[in-house]
Amino acid sequence: MGEENQFDAIVVGAGPAGLACSYLLAKAGKAVLVIERGDAPGAKNVTGGRIYSYALNLLDKDLVDDVAWERKVSHEEIMIINGKRSITMDYHDPSLTEGDESTQSYTILRAVFDQWMADKAEEMGAMVVCGIRVDDMIQREGKVVGVIAGEDEMYAEIVIAADGVNSLMAQKAGLIPDIKKETVGVGVKEVIDLPAKTIEERFKLSQNEGSARMILGCTQGIHGGGFLYTNRESISLGCVFMPQEIVQHGIQIHDIFQELKMHPAIYRLIQDGETVEYSAHLVSEAGFQGMPARLYKEGLLLVGDSAGLVINTGYSIRGMDLALLSGIAAARAILGETDLSQIGPAYLAELEKICLLPTMRLSVGYNQLLEIPRIYSNYPQLAIGVMQRLYQVDGQIPQNFKKQVMEAINESGLTVWQMLKDGLKGVRSI
Amino acid sequence: MSRIIACYKWVADEADLKINPDMSVDLSKAKGKISDYDKNAIEAAVQMAKITGDEAVTLTYGSKKAKLSLKDALSRGPAEGFWVNSEKAEQADGAASSKALAAAINKIGDYQLIICAEGASDTFARQVGPSVAARLGIPCVSSAIKLEFCENEVKVSRKLENGIEIVAAQLPAVVCILPEINRPPIPGLKAVLDAGKKPTREYKIEELGLVESDLSARTETIEFKAYVMNRKNIVLDGETAADQVKALVGSLKKEGII
Ligand SMILES: Cc1cc2nc3c(=O)[nH]c(=O)nc-3n(C[C@H](O)[C@H](O)[C@H](O)COP(=O)(O)OP(=O)(O)OC[C@H]3O[C@@H](n4cnc5c(N)ncnc54)[C@H](O)[C@@H]3O)c2cc1C
Repeated sequence: MGEENQFDAIVVGAGPAGLACSYLLAKAGKAVLVIERGDAPGAKNVTGGRIYSYALNLLDKDLVDDVAWERKVSHEEIMIINGKRSITMDYHDPSLTEGDESTQSYTILRAVFDQWMADKAEEMGAMVVCGIRVDDMIQREGKVVGVIAGEDEMYAEIVIAADGVNSLMAQKAGLIPDIKKETVGVGVKEVIDLPAKTIEERFKLSQNEGSARMILGCTQGIHGGGFLYTNRESISLGCVFMPQEIVQHGIQIHDIFQELKMHPAIYRLIQDGETVEYSAHLVSEAGFQGMPARLYKEGLLLVGDSAGLVINTGYSIRGMDLALLSGIAAARAILGETDLSQIGPAYLAELEKICLLPTMRLSVGYNQLLEIPRIYSNYPQLAIGVMQRLYQVDGQIPQNFKKQVMEAINESGLTVWQMLKDGLKGVRSI
Repeated sequence: MSRIIACYKWVADEADLKINPDMSVDLSKAKGKISDYDKNAIEAAVQMAKITGDEAVTLTYGSKKAKLSLKDALSRGPAEGFWVNSEKAEQADGAASSKALAAAINKIGDYQLIICAEGASDTFARQVGPSVAARLGIPCVSSAIKLEFCENEVKVSRKLENGIEIVAAQLPAVVCILPEINRPPIPGLKAVLDAGKKPTREYKIEELGLVESDLSARTETIEFKAYVMNRKNIVLDGETAADQVKALVGSLKKEGII
């Protein structure tokens, strides 16, 4: 085997999960090798764009002052689209950009953020090797003892699978089957460059302030939604869809996205901007139910997306903060447990302690709610229909409000009975 | 055992260039990389060293940005990486670069062969190899697509417009290679890890007996602008596929492409 092919830990994937784990292990003096297939950390990684600071705070308080963020989110927006009409709700809390660093959230760009985290891990002594794809793992007597990349073999006491959604490592270890199509969505995203001043004017932001927007009703009725995040000098705009519904409806993702960009309420925000990046990525959509039954095997831990740790509530997507938490939990388990065979159970205990598993369990309800197909077409249409009637003054005798609402309900194709049932389901699930 | 020195340049990655509306070029977001053809030069040095039993090493002249290049270069197989570190390199031309490189090569000493690429992927000025040879007072062979050692000579196949010329040069010599000479492999995990443990040597220009003014460029870049290639928008028609192909071939011939 030889000294130089042996590490304390090998981390596959330099995303937030892998880097958080490497950072802590290296800080504690472990010999850590991080292997990343991209030419640089974050080179090919896709995210919407918002990370919650509490998770970085938990990783290391000293890091928070120095995070490679774009803007601090102080505007939380929900936008409902139907046809050319739209409703935007903007919750603004200016205090979110100052004071307590542990309850804020930042917009980020992954190429910058992942590189920053990798630099921090390297400062602690981790070795981050990019441009290398891990092809397989080495297993002996049912235990994972190393990884194979090309012709090279590397060994470690523990391997951390941080290789993201549809994890090859988890598949090779037999912890997840090949990709299950009901559990993953497809995300597409563009980064559109605009001067900082233009962004601040269009979104009514002061310097450093940012907005995070979820968009409903922009997916031609299929399960999914849009998002928009303001960066310092660019806008991240994207959509997430369920792929099998795309196929069933015979729609092109590109067309839906193009239509979203051209929507009058969106177009004026991105007008004159230049698209500098177009990307697509899978995103785990099934919450707790989408998690593998086992998150470890002797010699192997699954962290972040490879463990299915994403929560999509419909008004926010949380994946990166959970990735950081699981990386932290993995590091704590590895550092705290001397008996190698007990690291897996210790990891689960840490995931409970750090509140990650309890949070995941709560996500079950949201997923039930988001499975209601009417959320993506009828309800947006209803909301817009009500608004339209509410604000329309045409000199005719106004109808009473109840009647107007009933009209809007009929127009949206919903029935009161259906709405009651959905409402009940909604209340029960969250 | 003597040395085979591959010279390379750390250039801006053209994939990251941004063109401004006024056609000026924004390099501020561009990451660095080893100039593409220089990867062939490094591979050629490694291959030759394997055959002759010499030691392949790399040499670059660059600003502090070029520090990042050392590990990348060494992961491609050479035993040691040399770097002449000066901010002057940012404005260097062929004359300045060759002066820095030749001084470093003299300092490194005990060399058999210097391998450069025919040109760098950013400027492709094709000056450095020949100028280094002139400064060292040794022969230079350009456009190389194959190298062979025999006794005290290097036998070089040169790619010409319509044929191949085989030239022998007395060692030590400078050879400028074309990318056809080899296909540099992507370094594997072990190679990358080993690179971190290999020795590197940084030279300040004073150590090379140079002063700042020695490295002033003799030419000056006045402007750097993007160039728009307009499409010709020619539509070819023809009844049958054969007609269409004929029209296409005719059109390409007319343009002097085939
Ligand atoms: C469109 C979209 C929008 C999203 N929006 C948000 C958001 O706003 N907020 C939020 O918190 N989350 C969001 N998410 C989810 C979030 O991006 C992920 O949960 C998070 O990136 C997971 O981190 P990770 O470290 O587990 O995996 P990743 O970030 O995917 O990192 C995995 C790394 O492993 C590398 N890798 C993979 N296979 C190999 C291999 N075989 N060998 C070597 N390296 C390998 C990859 O190149 C990658 O760098 C979004 C996701 C998508 C797709």
